[in-house]
Amino acid sequence: MKKNTFMDVVWRILMFLWGLSILFPLVWIFYESLKTNREFFQSAWSLPAVPQWKNYKTAWNNLNISRAMLNTVYYVGASGIIGLFITTICAYALTRLEWKGKKLVYETIMISLFLPGINALVPQYVLAKKLHLVNSLTGLITLNVLAVSAFDILLLGGFMQTIPNELEESAYIDGASIFQVYWKVVMPLAKPGIMTVGIFKFLGLYNDFLPPLIYLSDPKKYTIGVNMYQANQLMQYKADWVSLCAGVVLAMIPTLVVYLIFQKQIVEGATLGSVKG
Amino acid sequence: MKKKTDASIDTKKDPWYKNAKTQKKLFLFLALLPGFGGYLVFVLYPNILSVWYSLLSWDGLSKPIFVGLHNYKILFTDQFVWRAMKHNLIIMLVVPPLTVLISVVLAYLITNKHYKENKIHEVMYFIPNVLSSVVVALMWRFIYDGDYGLLNGFLRLFGVNAQTYWLGEESTALAAVMVPMIWASVGFYIIIYMNAMKSIPASLYESAILDGASSMTQLFKITLPLIWGVVRVTLLLMMVGSLKGFDTILVLTGGGPAGATDVIGLYMYNTAFGKTATSQFHQYGYASAIGMFLFVILVTCKGLMDKFLPNEDIQF
Repeated sequence: MKKNTFMDVVWRILMFLWGLSILFPLVWIFYESLKTNREFFQSAWSLPAVPQWKNYKTAWNNLNISRAMLNTVYYVGASGIIGLFITTICAYALTRLEWKGKKLVYETIMISLFLPGINALVPQYVLAKKLHLVNSLTGLITLNVLAVSAFDILLLGGFMQTIPNELEESAYIDGASIFQVYWKVVMPLAKPGIMTVGIFKFLGLYNDFLPPLIYLSDPKKYTIGVNMYQANQLMQYKADWVSLCAGVVLAMIPTLVVYLIFQKQIVEGATLGSVKG
Repeated sequence: MKKKTDASIDTKKDPWYKNAKTQKKLFLFLALLPGFGGYLVFVLYPNILSVWYSLLSWDGLSKPIFVGLHNYKILFTDQFVWRAMKHNLIIMLVVPPLTVLISVVLAYLITNKHYKENKIHEVMYFIPNVLSSVVVALMWRFIYDGDYGLLNGFLRLFGVNAQTYWLGEESTALAAVMVPMIWASVGFYIIIYMNAMKSIPASLYESAILDGASSMTQLFKITLPLIWGVVRVTLLLMMVGSLKGFDTILVLTGGGPAGATDVIGLYMYNTAFGKTATSQFHQYGYASAIGMFLFVILVTCKGLMDKFLPNEDIQF
């Protein structure tokens, strides 16, 4: 390799600065969260004299993060698992099985790729209200898992297509029913695909903001995103900013941890669902 | 073939539900009912319904009144709609191009330069993309604060006595909300462009290097033309998509101060569900008309751009 030229130094500094612009705010918000409110107002730079870990306790209890996290676990867990199950079986029926009307159903689902969705916000809400699905986490989960995403179908369908036909056929010859074939042959083989979609479902659901905001009116049912939004609104009166900082840190931990564990899958998967140039 | 004979033999001694054909039908029914049924009811049907809703005057409580195109008439003379659209236009012309520019350069540097810290950068650059819009927005609210904010703290290091409430002043608020948007999306596009760049054969660069071409020349003369197809599609989708996004702005400013950061999606949201500021009651009909207005723009944009933009990837 050649030695660094002047331009190389410029590039490396540029790259470092972009990295810093990402990392530093995260570090900053973390050490702000350990200050007292007095220190917080004094200077943006000074480190906390004594780390105030109790801010995290305050955030956990007084900003209702404990409750919001519990709601989020329910929302993400149930929507994720049931949604994944429904999407996977749908993708299987649409890619691996032959039946009359398959093309029509497939094309109908793919229409949603062209729908912007924003025009449907109000009718969706009114419909959900009529069906008593609003202001309830279970209702929100129901809406979430039933409205199957064309994107996920495409992704999972792609994985299903890579499973060799012979495996299914030999299972049929051995006398397995289609249910057994799906459960014992297809599902295990599609695991990597299901896993990838699952990770993205987790990130998407955990970060979900507008649907919970629109559909949940009772603060007791808030998921973490709406809860933090609400907490920030209330801070205009309470001015306990250090606790809010602690809350923001707590709110970002789950996705950060998942990202650091599954970094490879996430980065590879990010482009799977993206456009093909 | 063997399978079929097996199945027909089975039918003779087994009950009906053991029949392979019946089972397949049952399987299909169970597989499609929740997913496809839910899609029809909760996605497609509301989309169709929104056309009808846009013709109503309705607050969600009293009986809806059919008003024909009245909502659309109001829409075209509603100054808030056009103010919001103006902000959307500015965002559309600033955020996607800058995001693409930063992403392309960073992706190029990660892919083609072999600095030892590249791996760490690659991991770091994607972090904002896994954070929720609420977390990102709240963090930037802290950064932008006039008293204790990081940005003013930074400026004070250079002796500037900054007191600006970046999100609180009409002159700076719109610019201030665009920065986090770029910050939060660059990582994703870096990965897309890196993938596209990896498929470019190294031999193409070798001759350029022999000719003494600089990195920037290589980027603009070799890399960019070769990945232009991807860049164009991502840029277009981002521009079109920016019209309907509003969650970051909702948390950052709520559209304020005095509507200086209001965008059309947020205006629609507030018209339909808003609990504060402009209207206390919900105008489902008018909100749906705004939604339909956006629908027409978004679908037309996509169609037009697909049709009229040249499809050749390499133009050199």
